[in-house]
Amino acid sequence: MAVETRAVARPAAKARPRPRREREEEVLVWPDLVFVEFIAATLFTITFLMLSVFINAPLLNRANPELTPNPSKAPWYFLNLQELLLHMDKAWAGVLLPTIALGFFASIPYIDRTRSGQGVWFGSKNAVRLTLVSAAYSVIVVAALVSFDSGDRTYTEQLTRWIPSCNAEAQHQGLPCLQDAEGEAHTGFLSTKDISKRLQFSVPFPNALGVDDSNLDWPGDLDRIPVPFNNVCGNVGSFHLWCDMNLNIPSIMAEQVIPLSTVVGLAVAIIYVLFRVGWLRTKRDLFIVMFTAVLVSYLALAMVGSFFRGEGQNLIWPWEIKVDEG
Amino acid sequence: MALTEDPGKPRNLAERVQRVQDAVYSAIFHNYVWQSIFRSGYPNTPRNQMLVVATNIFLHLHPTRIHRTHVKITHTYCLGGLTFFMFLILTVTGVLLMFYYVPSVDSAYQDIAALETNVKFGLLMRNMHRWTAHAMVILVFLHMMRVFYTGAYKPPREFNWVVGVILLVLTLVLSFTGYLLPWDQLALWAVTVGHGIGGSAPFFGDETQLIVFGGFEVGPSTLIRFYTLHVIALPLIAAVFMAVHFWRIRRDGGMARPL
Repeated sequence: MAVETRAVARPAAKARPRPRREREEEVLVWPDLVFVEFIAATLFTITFLMLSVFINAPLLNRANPELTPNPSKAPWYFLNLQELLLHMDKAWAGVLLPTIALGFFASIPYIDRTRSGQGVWFGSKNAVRLTLVSAAYSVIVVAALVSFDSGDRTYTEQLTRWIPSCNAEAQHQGLPCLQDAEGEAHTGFLSTKDISKRLQFSVPFPNALGVDDSNLDWPGDLDRIPVPFNNVCGNVGSFHLWCDMNLNIPSIMAEQVIPLSTVVGLAVAIIYVLFRVGWLRTKRDLFIVMFTAVLVSYLALAMVGSFFRGEGQNLIWPWEIKVDEG
Repeated sequence: MALTEDPGKPRNLAERVQRVQDAVYSAIFHNYVWQSIFRSGYPNTPRNQMLVVATNIFLHLHPTRIHRTHVKITHTYCLGGLTFFMFLILTVTGVLLMFYYVPSVDSAYQDIAALETNVKFGLLMRNMHRWTAHAMVILVFLHMMRVFYTGAYKPPREFNWVVGVILLVLTLVLSFTGYLLPWDQLALWAVTVGHGIGGSAPFFGDETQLIVFGGFEVGPSTLIRFYTLHVIALPLIAAVFMAVHFWRIRRDGGMARPL
């Protein structure tokens, strides 16, 4: 008897009816949502039908591996990576930074585990202004870095043109100079990469550690620094990660340390400022700033690649772009 | 019908029109064939409207009821749904393009050129495919922004956000593999840039070029690989992830709401 009672009578607290007010806030999916979806789908179908009637998809000449168009460009959503290639090491620009960005996206909900502020646009206190500040900052930073770093029309080039050309007959002792390509007019720094590719100077240095002419030459004496134990070879298949590995210090400086520390430094700077101002207080705030910055920079770099890169990937105004098809 | 009383002759014009309307309606919607397809009539009552959403194969991904705020356009701007709709248009137009396209270096370009000039609506289908593909990339980014700025990735929806990031990558790769197929100068050199980027992967650069692009330069083996990835492998993978993505919305308690 006792068992039966227990089975039938449930504790009153568990038999909680759904709150009536929430039920009243609900609408039926048919018709309220299904019709909205139907209208959206119809509008998009009509729009793209009209677009396709009036604007044709591009079809250039048949592919010719002998004929390289200048400039040749990736699809617009990868132009940002192509743009980064101009400014830093290709592994960072093309593979590592995008991978880090995607990893960052995926990890957002596992780091910011708060439940508050969901389901409404910009649900936290400072969300709107953090987004705006971060977006504006990213645009300014991208525009500034791009216009200073790469191409033959930058102020950097003009301001560093005074550095003499290395092609002079006398050997440069100590003073910095810039190597010019054979038969080309002298130019200043065209990009950060020139620090390792074209800049040359030497400083007095004792004859040790491989230096034998009392001068430490940049980049000549520093571009093959052996990694410790690189004479120990243990190959796995075609991989030889460590064996015969040498560091190219000028290249690492110019293509990795300088560009990456610039990017990281600028990011940390804005986060620090927003923190000191008191707008950035939670992980959610931090992620709003970072997510916005990544996305806006992605877009801004794609715009630079699409509209501001002409022949030889030089900086150019959109109306001056001409594609030499080879 | 037979149970009702004989209505007699119509008394005026309005009634006569009404009779004709009823007869036409009945002929279309109450015949044996129609009712074999749609077992019930237009859902007029809330009960039937919920039933139709719950039991119709195309609608059953939806819940039967939804919170008032989620129907407002400004809450989602339909971005996720439209991304999926772009995928559907791309599937339809893509299948039509496949009828005329042979993925070999010798014929690919001619096939596309012929498709534009010799095939009825061929140019239209190609244009649709191209523009909706760009739209899908844009919409997937906008959808991601919507989810982020409404905080909809927060618990319990963490994993669905990760599935979304995977779908973003799949969308980009789908678009990129399709870029090569016309085999014109634009296609070849754009993919050559991507080939270079793939080759710059630390330690695995050569392997990436060999496995993904089929060689150390973009050529016939790249074309057939990209074609296979574009028309079957990636759409199938994307479809599986989409199924999980949509299913998880329901499992995680519908769309995100203020607590």
